[in-house]
Amino acid sequence: MLRVKIGQTTPSPLQINLECAPGELHALVGPSGSGKTTVLRTIAGLNKPASGKIECDGKVWFEGDDLRSKVQQLSPAERSCGFLFQQYALFPHLSALSNVTIPLQNSDLNTSQRKAISLDLLDRMGIANLAERMPNQLSGGQQQRVALARALARQPKVLLLDEPFSAIDTPTRQGLYKTLAELRSDLNIPILLVTHDLREADLLADQITVIDEGISLQTAAPQVLFQKPRNSRVAELVGISNMFNGVFDAGSLSWDGCAKVFSVADKGKIPSKARVAWVIPQSGLSVHNKPTQTSMPALIEKMSSLGQIAATQLRIQDSQNTIEWEASSAEVRRLEMEVGKQMHIELDGNQIHIMPLRSINDPRRFIGN
Amino acid sequence: MLPFGIWAAHKLLSLNKSRPWVEAALALPLVLPPTVLGYYFLISFGNTSIFGIPLVFSFTGILIASLIANIPFAIQPIQRAFEAINPEIREAAQVSGLSNWQIFRLIELPLSWRGITGAAALTFAHTLGEFGVVLMVGGAIPGETKTASIAIYDKVQGFDTSGAGAIALVLLGTSLVCIALSYGVLGRKPNLHKGLS
Repeated sequence: MLRVKIGQTTPSPLQINLECAPGELHALVGPSGSGKTTVLRTIAGLNKPASGKIECDGKVWFEGDDLRSKVQQLSPAERSCGFLFQQYALFPHLSALSNVTIPLQNSDLNTSQRKAISLDLLDRMGIANLAERMPNQLSGGQQQRVALARALARQPKVLLLDEPFSAIDTPTRQGLYKTLAELRSDLNIPILLVTHDLREADLLADQITVIDEGISLQTAAPQVLFQKPRNSRVAELVGISNMFNGVFDAGSLSWDGCAKVFSVADKGKIPSKARVAWVIPQSGLSVHNKPTQTSMPALIEKMSSLGQIAATQLRIQDSQNTIEWEASSAEVRRLEMEVGKQMHIELDGNQIHIMPLRSINDPRRFIGN
Repeated sequence: MLPFGIWAAHKLLSLNKSRPWVEAALALPLVLPPTVLGYYFLISFGNTSIFGIPLVFSFTGILIASLIANIPFAIQPIQRAFEAINPEIREAAQVSGLSNWQIFRLIELPLSWRGITGAAALTFAHTLGEFGVVLMVGGAIPGETKTASIAIYDKVQGFDTSGAGAIALVLLGTSLVCIALSYGVLGRKPNLHKGLS
């Protein structure tokens, strides 16, 4: 189990609290400059936080407090991390095989054993035939695989992947996803993945931590995160399109700029008459040609086809509120939808998720949070 | 001289606030007139030499003077080569479990090969051509402190132009080869090797 609790105010603020179990793939997502890579570097010992505790497999790697009265810090070499750098960071003067052999320099193995282990790792990565190539003779995807083999050579206690798929083309990326999925089941160690690609995080991760301005805002399973973001900032960062404001009072949610009131369940965390942000997933929306008891008339403002999926923007009648609705192209044809046509949209109150609004004065504080 | 250059260049990487001053001090022999440098050597190497024995007009004296005068030529190319190594490469070596000495030996040194050969060639060429400092510290004692460049000067003074020309030609050729080497004939690529023991 990897337990990370770190804090600092300079050079950039960092307040991170996360746990990752063996065999779990935990994604760190957030905008550029939010501190995702700094978290990985801190775990690896390449950065030193002001305070906190980093513990892996029962061993304390870092422990310190703000007063510096007690600091315990293991060097990067002592931490047993497999670190995959964004730009691979292969040793340019060594062959692929020697790059993988480097982490075994201090082991008790003899040269032929080291070579055999390295070759086996390259074989698992599917590039054993490229063992004698120099890094500049390898493609980006091949270099990535060498770097991954090198990261695994020391049998690390934790695998840290810093945007590993950002610099490679889509077909190569698909191959690496598969390799990573296979490794996960074999290795049984915590894996942390930094990515800015939410779809990638959704596809690969068991848990996602959303980081913004150095602060971990929410940790949850992907399906929970996308349906029930903790607050409006998380909803914004995970790219939820249908997010609106309103006032929540004793189970009733009134929608700003619209006469509609929904009956919404809440766990009692939101105070009465509180201004809230709310989201509704695509599964909570249904569009009809004819009105129903609870539907609202809405005008089709924009339509765009994205292959099998059509994205439609509907404006609620007598308001400025617009809703993004995604459906299959076949469904759109069945409903004979076209720009300017009036439809009727239904929102399932059971699927509405309400959250504290982000304060205007301090972007890190959330009203009622 | 080279081991010192490698050590000093590597040490400079870890300095922060004091680095500009240390670099400036090490670069002084580049900008000071040779006579100024020679004057200070003359004072330091006299009867009350800081080394305990008089070094003026001796081979040991010009050897030490040459070493000091060559410091920038030995350090700067190696320092530039160390600085050119991507910091992520060092970090990758750290997280691969290598000690500082292993990182230096297995990663930094092979990747700085071009800078080291350049420093060697430049130092050699500059030592051959050193004139002012050597003349002030060593004089021109035949077989003891008379260097090639001083010999040229003496021959020109004695109207032996053909003798001076011959030595000058040798110096010219040697310097050209050395500079060519330092510009990359030997060190165009890092020291690539496929295997690790």
